[in-house]
Parts: sequence; structure tokens; C-alpha cells
Amino acid sequence: MRKMIFYKEWLKTRWYLAAALAVMAAMTFYCLLNLSKTAQIRGGDMLWNLMILKETVLIEMLRYIPLVVGGLLAMFQFLPEMTRKRLKLTLHLPYPQGRMIAAMYGYGLGILLVLFLLQALCLGTVLRGWMAGELVGRILRTAAVWYLAGFAAYIWIAAVCLEPTWGMRVALLLLLAGLVHLLTLSSVPEAYNGILPWLCLYVLCGQLLIFHSVARFKEGLQD
Amino acid sequence: MKRIGKIFIILSFAVLILWIVPWLYRIVTLKSYTTPFTLYSCVYHDFTRLDRSDGKEFRFIDRNGNVYGDEAQPLFYHNVLSSKGMLPDTLEGRAVTPAEIDANNIIVTAEMKEIKRIAPKAYLLMESVPVRLELQDPEYAFVPRKDGLYIYEMAENRLDETKSAAFNEALRAAGFSFPARLFAGNPSDRKEYDEGYLLTDADGKLFQLKMTDGAPEVRHFSAADGLNLEHLIITELKNRATLGYLVGRDHALYMLRPDGSVVPTQVRYNPFEEDFMLIGDLFYYTVRVSDDEGEHFYALRSDDFSLVDTMDRPYAFEEETNLCEYLFPCRLYFTSSDDGFVKPRFTDWSWKGLIVDLVLAAAWILWRRSRKNTKN
Repeated sequence: MRKMIFYKEWLKTRWYLAAALAVMAAMTFYCLLNLSKTAQIRGGDMLWNLMILKETVLIEMLRYIPLVVGGLLAMFQFLPEMTRKRLKLTLHLPYPQGRMIAAMYGYGLGILLVLFLLQALCLGTVLRGWMAGELVGRILRTAAVWYLAGFAAYIWIAAVCLEPTWGMRVALLLLLAGLVHLLTLSSVPEAYNGILPWLCLYVLCGQLLIFHSVARFKEGLQD
Repeated sequence: MKRIGKIFIILSFAVLILWIVPWLYRIVTLKSYTTPFTLYSCVYHDFTRLDRSDGKEFRFIDRNGNVYGDEAQPLFYHNVLSSKGMLPDTLEGRAVTPAEIDANNIIVTAEMKEIKRIAPKAYLLMESVPVRLELQDPEYAFVPRKDGLYIYEMAENRLDETKSAAFNEALRAAGFSFPARLFAGNPSDRKEYDEGYLLTDADGKLFQLKMTDGAPEVRHFSAADGLNLEHLIITELKNRATLGYLVGRDHALYMLRPDGSVVPTQVRYNPFEEDFMLIGDLFYYTVRVSDDEGEHFYALRSDDFSLVDTMDRPYAFEEETNLCEYLFPCRLYFTSSDDGFVKPRFTDWSWKGLIVDLVLAAAWILWRRSRKNTKN
């Protein structure tokens, strides 16, 4: 059954995933091309200089990509479930409901993880050709919170999509706005290093919201 | 699961309100606060503060309320006084020239927000004796690791093993134990000369490292052994009076002279809690150490760094009604202008706010219960 659920999720999201992959690849390529041109025209030492003397990690243009990709994936995955109450049908399949919901959003989180890891791997590999591992590590550690924002956007938007009432949807969106604000509060490199494990824990706990929304849906709450 | 979800939402909202509402309140009620520029006067031998309350004249006022003009600070404003033909020929009993004054006017600052952040683990390495005499952009950078410094040719991102070996050998020969702990350098070509880096080793011993003609030049300052240093400032000033300033874990400030001697001062400075500014001239250094409570001034003689005078100026906070004090048990914020970290910080704890919130929470629970009972 789990395979069937994954297949259903795949059918819903495959075109979006192709588009997301293309956009992420294009943006990553563009960002790296920019850096490559800087290295060509002003010398590879310029990248080192910028990293050491300025408060930059060179790839700031990619900051909001994971956030948008995560939020849109949740919409593409869960909005179809809510149109004409298809979720009701899904919940009546011969499979434990909790596991069903977990498999649905687990699929999304897994896909996001793969996309983000691919991008980070690509960035790390190319950047390593221009600078020492310590500086590349600094860039990726700084970007970690951007990826966390992507996971947060996915979980919260999924909960909003599955939520049956507008009042609670607005409440969840307000929480998401606060969380995104917190995750994008500082552009100082490695500013989030200390708090990142706690933020990860909070975002993981955010999965409760999805079950909360589904439980309210099952109760038949509506505006 | 629904109940846990509900608790999660309520707690999240509580944190959000604790963060956002006091922040908005502060934005609305925030007032600017400035402190007057203050220097020790070599003419009147007192701290004088700049007063421009009329918006036109530069007036300096000492601690007794005496008002002076630019002549109170003839060294800091020597260009202005020279243009008016008012620069004295003699100060502190000796003849002075504009060139001498200019060469000895120095400013050194250190802000805690620059110290309290995660710095990149790579340092630019300049050539201290450039072929064309003027300092050039660095071509090399070093990365400190456990077993030594790794020197990279930045343009090619190539580890220069020969240079790395030479530098590490030179450091070891001078008694350096890896890994290096503290670094202070200013790898900029906008200075008159380069002194490389001041750095401490695993045992806390102080060294200087610079690259001259592509080769390492290492110096160990035995006078600083045992000082238990926690912060270093390299000065590279045009008068070459000092090589750097050293701060011990006991927050004592030491002056490192170019000859390697270390002179203790009576200045107390905590680099992680206070901002530092030193404005020096031919005769005196005015050191300002400022924290959340106020500013502490020290006047030191510029020749032997002995203490001449001190002054404290606490900030004059106005007592104002803070509505948040009555609404929230504390204020939560995540960023600060004092450092480069995002982390939860709780301040302004208030019993009044806690009691109000507990009463409101109890009222809400009672209201919910009564509503449920009415429905049943």
C-alpha cells in the first residue's frame, strides 16, 4: 500500500518536481556562472577576499529558493486532496490513517531532502574548486537555515492545505510568517549555528500540525 | 494527536506574541540617544565634551562647566586652528609642529559586534615588504588547522606546500605550539605598513607572524607569556608607538611596544561585553570603554601609558511607562546589535506581566468551560 501511496503522490507532483528541479538547477547554474565570471575577470583571489573580508557567502541569491520550492510542493501535493474532499476518500483506504498521512508528507520531505542535498552537493563541489574546504563549509553551514526554511514552508503549507477552516488556516499562516521571519532574520554568515539544532527540532515538531489539521477534517469541521 | 497539536499551536503563538508585540512597541516608542564626543584636553587637563546645542559653534565643556573653543583640543583640531593661525607653538612645555601632531593623532576602535561572531577560518596573508614599496592586495591566505597553517595561493586555490612547510617550520623554531588560538591582523592595503598577524599558540604564548620577501618572519614576545590573553588588537599606527593592544582574561589592557616589551595599563576592558575606542595624540590617549550602562573614560599618558585621569558617564535613561511590562512576563528577541548571532534572549522580566497573563489565561479557561457547559 505504501508503494501505491508514493505512486499517487508521484503522479500529483511529477510535473511540479520537474519544474522545481529545472528552476533550482537554473538558479544554481546562474549563481555559479556569476561567481565563475568574477573569478575570471577579477581573479580567483577575489572570491577569497569577499569571503574573508565581507559578510557574504557569495550565494545569497539562492536564499529563498528552498522556501518557495518547499511551499509550492506542499500546495501541489495537498491542494488536490482538498478539492471535492478527496482526502475523505484517501482516509477510507484500507491502510492506517496515521501511516497514510505520514507516508504522504514523508514522500514530500524525502523529495525535498533529495533536491536540497543535490543542490548543496553541486554547490559544494564547484565552490571547492575555488576556495578552501573551511570556506565552503562556512557557505553550506550558512545555507543550512535556508533549507530548513524550505522544510518548514512545506510542513506548514501542507497543514494549511489540509485544514478545513479558514480561521485556523490564517492562524497557521501567521505562525509560518513568524517562523520564516525568524529563519531569514539575519544574513550574517553562520549566525544560526547555535540555534539551528533547536530550530530543526521545532520544525520537525511542526509535523503535529498536519495531523492536527487531518483530525479536524475528520471531525467534519468547516466554515 | 489533536490535543498535542493544539498545545503546539498555543505555545508557538505565545512565543510569537512575546517576540513580535514588544518589538513593535519598541519600534513605535524608540527614541534616539547620543552621547557627546569627549576627549582629554592637554591644555586644561580635564575631560572636555563637545557641545553643539546651538547647532553652530564647537564648544567644549569640562567637568566643572567651563566652556572653551577649539583651543581646548589643539591637537585634534590642529588643522582648524592652523587655518586660523591659532595653533600654539608650544604645548606641555615643548615645541610642537603640525607634522608631528598629525603623525601622532591616532584612532583605534574595537566593537564587540565584530568580535562576537563566527569569523571565517581563513586569513589573508600580505607581503610586508612589497617590491613596489606600496602594499599590494594579498595573493596568499592561510587556513589554521590542528597541525599547522596551510597556505593557499588564492588565485589558483592551490595549497602551497613549500610555503606552508616553511611557515610552520619557522613558527615551531620560535617555540610555537599548534593549534593557533587567537589571531589579529588587518590585511588591507589602505595602511602605511604591514605588521602581519599577532597570534597566540595552544599554550597562550604571543607571537607575530608576517611574510617578508615571501618568507616567514616570526617573533615570540616572551614578555607576554603568562598573561592569559583573550583578545588581541593589531594597531599598525602611523606613529608606530605600539605593535598592538592585548587584553587578558582579567580584562586588563596591555600595550605591546614594537621592541617587544609589554606595558600594563589601568584600563579595564571586556572585549565581549564592551566597545572600545582610543583617540590618541602627542601627549595623551583618551580611552572610551562603553557598555549597556554607560561610558568609562581613561586618560593615559602617550609615552608611558600611565593613568592620568578617569571619568564615568552613566547613560541618563528616562523613567517611562512601559506598557509591555504590564502585558508580558518578559521580552523575547533574537538578534542584537552587539553580536552576529541569532539566538533567543529573554530580558525585561516582569512579575506584573506574569500575573496579568496568568489571570488572563485563567479567565480564558473558565470562559471556555462555561461555554462548553452551556452547549451541553
